[in-house]
Amino acid sequence: MQAPRPSLTNAPRLESRNLILRGPEHGDAEPLIAFLTDRERAAGFGAYDNRHDAWRWFGLNVGHWHIHGYGYFTIEDRDTGEVAGITGIWNPDGWPEPELGWALFDGFEGRGIAYEAAERARDWAYSELGFMTLTSNIVPGNDRSIALAERLGAWAERTYQNVYMGAEILYRHPGPASLDDDGDGSVEAYA
Amino acid sequence: MTQFAFEIPTLDAGDVSLRAIQESDLEPLAAFYATDRSQFVGGPLPRVDAWRIISSNLGHWALRGYGMWIIAADQQPVGMCGFIFREGWDEPELGWQVWDGSEGRGIAYQAASAAREQGVRAYGLDSVISYIDPRNARSIKLAERLGAAFECETVFFDKPCHIYRHPKQEKHA
Repeated sequence: MQAPRPSLTNAPRLESRNLILRGPEHGDAEPLIAFLTDRERAAGFGAYDNRHDAWRWFGLNVGHWHIHGYGYFTIEDRDTGEVAGITGIWNPDGWPEPELGWALFDGFEGRGIAYEAAERARDWAYSELGFMTLTSNIVPGNDRSIALAERLGAWAERTYQNVYMGAEILYRHPGPASLDDDGDGSVEAYA
Repeated sequence: MTQFAFEIPTLDAGDVSLRAIQESDLEPLAAFYATDRSQFVGGPLPRVDAWRIISSNLGHWALRGYGMWIIAADQQPVGMCGFIFREGWDEPELGWQVWDGSEGRGIAYQAASAAREQGVRAYGLDSVISYIDPRNARSIKLAERLGAAFECETVFFDKPCHIYRHPKQEKHA
């Protein structure tokens, strides 16, 4: 067993083949701020033009865990311990429904990390939180995220106006029952 | 609802108490931030951003070990008071806001006094600052009543701002 470490939330520690999903920790602030203030990279997620607002988002996510019991996990590479991005369930005021979101930091794309992480977070939301459905809100033109949503089995359901992002396509994920039936065992494996 | 990974104490502050913020404080908080009354504390802001104040506030407590409380009078939330030390702050700040209908009763003074004492006693925060907009006559008056002294002018998030310094408190045993 691992020694206890300082924890900002009571987020669980989830494992998948190559990754660990864990709650945000103090050391995650800088890589997250670097991502959020990168206007190009964070364009589809919601970029900030200053460190103050990016730091507030970091705290916002910590508080989100306390209010809802879920939020964004930090994605860690299991072998190297590197922080590769974030994924989790997001549901602040003004959101149409709880959302499965993901974002990879610079240098971590193209390795299947987002798919593996988002699928693990979705399984957790279905098996541990009892969600019966999830959505992902994607800005039109964010082809990379759309491809991932589709790979996860989600489909475009409607367009809506996000209070921060403007027009977004709401993708609907398959529910736990249909994932159970597809034979890959992704939900029950963790139940 | 998860358990908190940190503690936010409830404090007596004379006629009011200071307690942890919760999601159910959104309505009065959003109502305050919807108006120009919030112009000196980051407003006006839409309701969705008022929700984010609640969430960020809890995150602040987790990250810093201290933060702002809700001021409660007769169990009702009537404002906020406590410590702010976000990215971009020079040092921890003692801040306050009293919402519509609850001003003029000495609430902010009692709340700020109790928060300041708790800062010295529990968080090692002594002779903290308050950032005050020079047009905010009411807050300047309160800072002076609390014994804080004007220290300097500065520019804080692109706005002119005055820094007031609170007096050093006696250390509690």
